[in-house]
Amino acid sequence: MKTTFRQIFRQANFVIGFSIITLILLVITIYPLFNPGSPLQMIGQGTFFKPGTYVNIYDSLDTSKVYTLRLDDAAANRIGKKLLPADRETMRAWLIAFGLPEESVQIEYTDDLLQLWWNSYDENVRPQGMTSAARKAAARVDAKLAGLYNMESLTITQPDETTGEPAQKMTVSETDYVNVSDIANVRVLPLGTDNFGRDTLKELLAATATSLKIGLLAGCIATLVGLALGLFAGYVGGIVDDIIMFFANLFTVIPGFVLLILISYSIGQESRGATTVAVVIGFTSWVWTTRSVRAQVLSLRNRDHVNLSKLSGHSLIRILVTDILPYIASYVVMALILQICSGILSEAQLSMLGLGPKTTEVPTLGLMMFWGMQYTAHLNGAWWAYFPVIVMIALISFSLNLMNTGLDQVFNPQLRS
Amino acid sequence: MKRKFSSAVLAALMALCLVLGTASFAVAESAAIPSELPRNETLYFAGQQWGSVVGWSIFMDSANNAMAIAEAASRRIPVNETLYMYNLLDGKVIPLLADGDYQWNDDQTEITVKINPAAHFSDGTPVKATDVAYTYDTHIKYQTANGVNFPEYIAEVSALDEYTVVFKAALNDSGAAKNPLEVVNQLLQIYIWPQSYIEKLEERNNYDAAAFKLDTAEDFIASGPYAGGFYADDQKVILARDDNYWGVAIFGSLPAPKYLAHNIYPDNPAGQVALAAGEVDVCQQFIADVQLLWEEQDLPISTYIDEPPYGICVSTPSAFYNFNNPILANNVAIRKAIALAVDYDQINANAMTYQSPTFVQSPRSLMIPTDGEQAMYDHEAVKDLQWIGNDIEGANKLLDEAGIVDTNGDGIRDIDGKNLSFNAVCPNGWTDWMASMEIVAAAGKGIGIEITTLFPEWSEVQNVFTDGTQTSYDIFMYAGDGAGPTYPWQRVRQRMSSEFIGRTGNWSGNWGQYSNPRADEIIQLIPSVTDPDELKALYTEAVEIYLTDVPSFALMYRPQLFYTVNESVWTGYPEQGDGYNIPPTDLTDGYGIAGLYHLELVNP
Repeated sequence: MKTTFRQIFRQANFVIGFSIITLILLVITIYPLFNPGSPLQMIGQGTFFKPGTYVNIYDSLDTSKVYTLRLDDAAANRIGKKLLPADRETMRAWLIAFGLPEESVQIEYTDDLLQLWWNSYDENVRPQGMTSAARKAAARVDAKLAGLYNMESLTITQPDETTGEPAQKMTVSETDYVNVSDIANVRVLPLGTDNFGRDTLKELLAATATSLKIGLLAGCIATLVGLALGLFAGYVGGIVDDIIMFFANLFTVIPGFVLLILISYSIGQESRGATTVAVVIGFTSWVWTTRSVRAQVLSLRNRDHVNLSKLSGHSLIRILVTDILPYIASYVVMALILQICSGILSEAQLSMLGLGPKTTEVPTLGLMMFWGMQYTAHLNGAWWAYFPVIVMIALISFSLNLMNTGLDQVFNPQLRS
Repeated sequence: MKRKFSSAVLAALMALCLVLGTASFAVAESAAIPSELPRNETLYFAGQQWGSVVGWSIFMDSANNAMAIAEAASRRIPVNETLYMYNLLDGKVIPLLADGDYQWNDDQTEITVKINPAAHFSDGTPVKATDVAYTYDTHIKYQTANGVNFPEYIAEVSALDEYTVVFKAALNDSGAAKNPLEVVNQLLQIYIWPQSYIEKLEERNNYDAAAFKLDTAEDFIASGPYAGGFYADDQKVILARDDNYWGVAIFGSLPAPKYLAHNIYPDNPAGQVALAAGEVDVCQQFIADVQLLWEEQDLPISTYIDEPPYGICVSTPSAFYNFNNPILANNVAIRKAIALAVDYDQINANAMTYQSPTFVQSPRSLMIPTDGEQAMYDHEAVKDLQWIGNDIEGANKLLDEAGIVDTNGDGIRDIDGKNLSFNAVCPNGWTDWMASMEIVAAAGKGIGIEITTLFPEWSEVQNVFTDGTQTSYDIFMYAGDGAGPTYPWQRVRQRMSSEFIGRTGNWSGNWGQYSNPRADEIIQLIPSVTDPDELKALYTEAVEIYLTDVPSFALMYRPQLFYTVNESVWTGYPEQGDGYNIPPTDLTDGYGIAGLYHLELVNP
């Protein structure tokens, strides 16, 4: 046994796969300890906030420590962030349509451009030949530029507690800075939020846990059913074999996924929890395990030690468990790993079709993809809502398959080096 | 030799089958339409036609022909025309086939309508009063989906002379019109076809109602600007302009595009991709975060209004409580508490991506956020009854005061030892509605009421919630309203009228089976009241009852039609503040069609 394990852990493939899956398991266990709360809580009001650090404006104003930094490039940065190259093009298009000669509109010189703009732009003017979209874009740029050069301090007021009149609370000048560590509320959203305003990273890790559970449950069911049927069919033979193989063949010709869709649909969403989905997946994917276990058993059933056991009057179950199972155990473990992997993929596929677990209770990888698709994250450039999910599914399935290859190299006599 | 012959026969048969098989793809075509449409003469649509067109007859029960025949408060009129068209921006009724305004007689029992003498059908024959009367009669004679309800409102439609039609209202016992509002509504709802063509249609179907209603009428004759020919298969629908269109007399010119085309897309994302690529000009689809199309992707795309809510919201998708559930029926505190606790800002932000006015901007009532309807009730009088939402504290207080508390300590409130547990239902795939129901369910958590969402398929939902005896859905979502000349009365009726209680196949209203005698009285009274002050008082009282009893509550305001346009090829689309007062009804519905006459090419 020890030697076997040593052999297994010498296989680079297995070790890489094992490390990845262990890492994933560690992260999904540890992360919730640092970031507790429900992964389904809708924290963001609005869809698909982009990844980044969110600093509370209210708290940043309230901080008692204000630092003054005189930075040369501050004003340029401020203007650069507001006046993008595309905005300059929009301004030029409007000014030319407005009737200014093309050579007089230079967009490289910010000061000249802004002066020209503020002298000419009037939101009520509808320049000839300009589309409404272009006019609206110009109006948006104009709104953005308002007060760009105004470097006066901002005044924050708050209603007075007794009179209710706005009273000056503080002023903020353009050279005031705060240190992020002084601010009470800073939230890092490494993967932004999804369409419901949920923390995507937190949801992703919770979903990975659920999907792994679904995969494990589905894989175990499929393997157990497949193993039991394969053992009986292969060892007992005769009519038992015929009946089992009849059903196995029947299920082979019906595409498994179609069957899965039909069963999931007929169960109805109300009773479709994560466990139910896992069970359904498990019971629709036992076929190939049965067939291959049966084939293995057929080659084992006439071995001497099996015959000896039979002559000694051992029971059927005992023979199966003690004389046959150990010889195919390694194979069964490998089949289990593949079944877990396909269970996770099946859940994702089902959920994408809206036939996965009901949505209110737990996040799953498939449901995250489903809602991302529904809210067209892929068309809006909100990659964080679906790409990490794809990567996670790929990583899980990659690591499980790598482990499987590693095991294969140890146990498969043809590959053994 | 014999074998050779039989194989030749076999081959011929197979070829024949192939030809027949190809031909059986529903291709219908009326006039020569070029195989490749010139881009700068064609206006492309998305989001109206889903699936293949079934037929072109205005008498069909389900023609699935969104470009030509569409049920809506503002009728779709590029092909078939109505007597009047509706402008949902100001609620005005504008003559189309009619000449001037309709006239009520002094007793308000008859409406007289003059037909525009310039109006003619695509074959050149003038539109006459007899055509109008015959079209209405046909609807009644063959009991079409429209016709079954006519006798409720209209007793008779007759031609007084060549160009004058008289609509006699159905009268109640006291000799007054049963429902004057609905009589007017029919003037905007019924497409007019020539009597001669209808007679031909009847004759070829041997006057058999079932066959008549199934006739696809591909040789139809209509009066609209795009009745000049069509092409339809499972990929697209094309309408060709009638260059002899009579409407030049009222609009001053022909509509700009020579063709209206609608590619049939499998789903919303496909239509959205086509819009972004400039293959679609006018898109009637909910696009999540629509502003990203111009803000982030810099596309020449815009909506009617440049900032949230981007469109005119005339519909109020609501959560209905099922009064067949005694706990919901007997406890107004529960109904109100759930409504108070729901976070409507979250619905607006996450489900509708800000494409709805908030309930702060337009406080809840039975009216939509248009100036016309908002002026119809007294805002001050109902101020204390309106709520903003996300008021967990208020909701908890309400339930505590009503004595509905958690007696067994499991975190869920109970009545008679039974935990409060409800389902919240809307159809699967209706994205923004599903997200709304999730947010309603989340509200339940904060106030100790268990709410679980349930998203069955639409085919199932439509059978359950329209059944007045159903007990399977506790809280369910439906809109079913819009803007039209019968609104907001129609909406008051839809939300509260007990006439619909217990009906099966009920599409008309009060799906929650709520009953209030005073509300019924108000619904009876409003249609015949003409005094504005009296009307306002009645509407205010209706709003008071609605907000006190909470038989249902609005979750959001929503446009009846979404309207997003791409200016890659055409420009001059209706937009807010352009001075034309054309509603954003996709250039096809009601007075929105006037937008077609202002379109210009970006690169002529």
